[in-house]
Amino acid sequence: MSLLQEKTENKSVFSFMWLLSTLILLAALIFTIIPLIFMFTASAMPSKDILKMPYRWVPRGFHWQNYFKAIAGNDGNYMFFRNIINSVIVACSVTVSTVLLAGITGYGLAKFRFRGRNIVFLAIMATMMIPFEAIMIPLYLVATNLHLQNSYGGLIFPFLVNAFGVFMMRQFLITFPDEFLDATRIDGAGEIRIFFNIVLPNIKPAIATLAILTFRTQWDNLIWPLLIAQSEKMKTVPLYIVKFAAEKYTDEGAMMAVAFLASIPMLILFFSMSNYFVSGASVYSSRKG
Amino acid sequence: MKKKYSGIEKKLSRWGWYFVTPSLIFFMLFSFYPIINAAYISLFRKKILSLKAPDFLGLGNYKYLLSSSDFWNSMRATFVFTLGTFIPLVIVSLLLAVLIMGRNKGKKFLQLAYYSPAVLSSVVAAVIWMMIFDPRGIANQWLNFLVNTPGVDHLWLAKSFMVQFSTMLVYFWKYIGYFVVIFIAGLASIPHSLYEAAKIDGAVPRQIFWRITLPLLKPTVLLVSIMAMLQCLKTFGTQYLFVQAGSPQAPINVITLNIYNTGIRDHLLGRASAMSIILFVIMLFFTWLQFKTSKADDVDY
Repeated sequence: MSLLQEKTENKSVFSFMWLLSTLILLAALIFTIIPLIFMFTASAMPSKDILKMPYRWVPRGFHWQNYFKAIAGNDGNYMFFRNIINSVIVACSVTVSTVLLAGITGYGLAKFRFRGRNIVFLAIMATMMIPFEAIMIPLYLVATNLHLQNSYGGLIFPFLVNAFGVFMMRQFLITFPDEFLDATRIDGAGEIRIFFNIVLPNIKPAIATLAILTFRTQWDNLIWPLLIAQSEKMKTVPLYIVKFAAEKYTDEGAMMAVAFLASIPMLILFFSMSNYFVSGASVYSSRKG
Repeated sequence: MKKKYSGIEKKLSRWGWYFVTPSLIFFMLFSFYPIINAAYISLFRKKILSLKAPDFLGLGNYKYLLSSSDFWNSMRATFVFTLGTFIPLVIVSLLLAVLIMGRNKGKKFLQLAYYSPAVLSSVVAAVIWMMIFDPRGIANQWLNFLVNTPGVDHLWLAKSFMVQFSTMLVYFWKYIGYFVVIFIAGLASIPHSLYEAAKIDGAVPRQIFWRITLPLLKPTVLLVSIMAMLQCLKTFGTQYLFVQAGSPQAPINVITLNIYNTGIRDHLLGRASAMSIILFVIMLFFTWLQFKTSKADDVDY
């Protein structure tokens, strides 16, 4: 579909449109990429160079001290490692449980007929309308009563599965061939084994898409850890950055080094599995059926 | 034979229930119970760590909020942010998606490049832009170059208008690529034959866009608009970080930030819950609108 490349009768209009489209695309490219380049180059500069006018885009040498400061933290207690491990633990647990629970629920909804199925489906979909920000105060009270502050359980439990994941898995599994399932049933396979050995291995793209979406949401999660993790040891990476920014606003180089370090896991995932990021976004536009 | 068949069916329907039950219990405990509980708490003057039984206020918290200028300021901040962010987001991402689809080369590269800011967490995005908006930072340098006002500090993080604009810009930057990708998926699902037919009939690109692409893309546009709107209503990270780093709170005191400060910093849980319920009702309204419009405008190719 090459709308703009088509030869039209008016040749000059065509080339003008082409030029205009190139300029707009380039401007948007600069706008999106420049802050990322800025983050990386500034993380390699001493603070006095970062806020120099005009900004020098190529650092003179690599100012490693920024990264040492970023990791050591203001108190020099190297809480960064602990916090990044916390983030990894929370994000991975939530991802595994979301994939399993959303998978099995989506499978139940897509491939089994039972009374009340539509009501169950609608009830789960209805939870999509409840923003987390609206239920965080009651959840916070419950977590306090159960003494779940500053614990992995407290950070993980509210996110074990989500309605969007169930929806996505259901949509994906509706087209899963029934004959295939029936054949394995006739062979005497149990239902749980069918799910783990037949269904899950055959929906890897959907799993990867949902896993990346979930991991990312958790890696980005700020508001709930802010409520539940007050102790330094239980903080996650976003909280580490908030603390660093609030205390050390003046050390620009170290600030950018923290930002870059915190983004490395997501950047690696993005560059190695960009297709799944993109398919995660486009689930929305193909949600018919 | 028939009996046996229904036996299998019965067994399978039981398994259906087994498979959905764990999630159903989860949603009961972590979605339905808390929202009902929030509605209940919003009727009390409840303070955390208080041993006294909470006073029943009826709709007192709501009455208080509706006459509180702080609450209305938050509503204003939220709606200004939402309108100022989602409208440019939808328009610009649609434009970029159409332009990208008109290219032969570089489609993939441009999509991924535009998408890359969405990969960063919102805290990281806010921190990067805080540096860019620094009085000596590149935002001032570039703007001064563009409008030829050397040495002027535009107070990106300090002036009431500018700090609102800055939060919108950060959000716009972070999500533009995300919506470009959604629109491209929508555009790719429009059958090629329609374009061919239009060209044979002698349509020029502009006509093709307004008469074919846009009408067929209407469901996607509506869906994306409401999704973007719902996202914007919940914005929190950028505003929180800017305030932490010293920006004035009032202009960007969006409703989620107000809920957080009222509930967690000031320990006024009843009042914070009342605000949560108001946010919930607003979002419910827009979700309902989404369902209504997407039903009415389903297009078949």
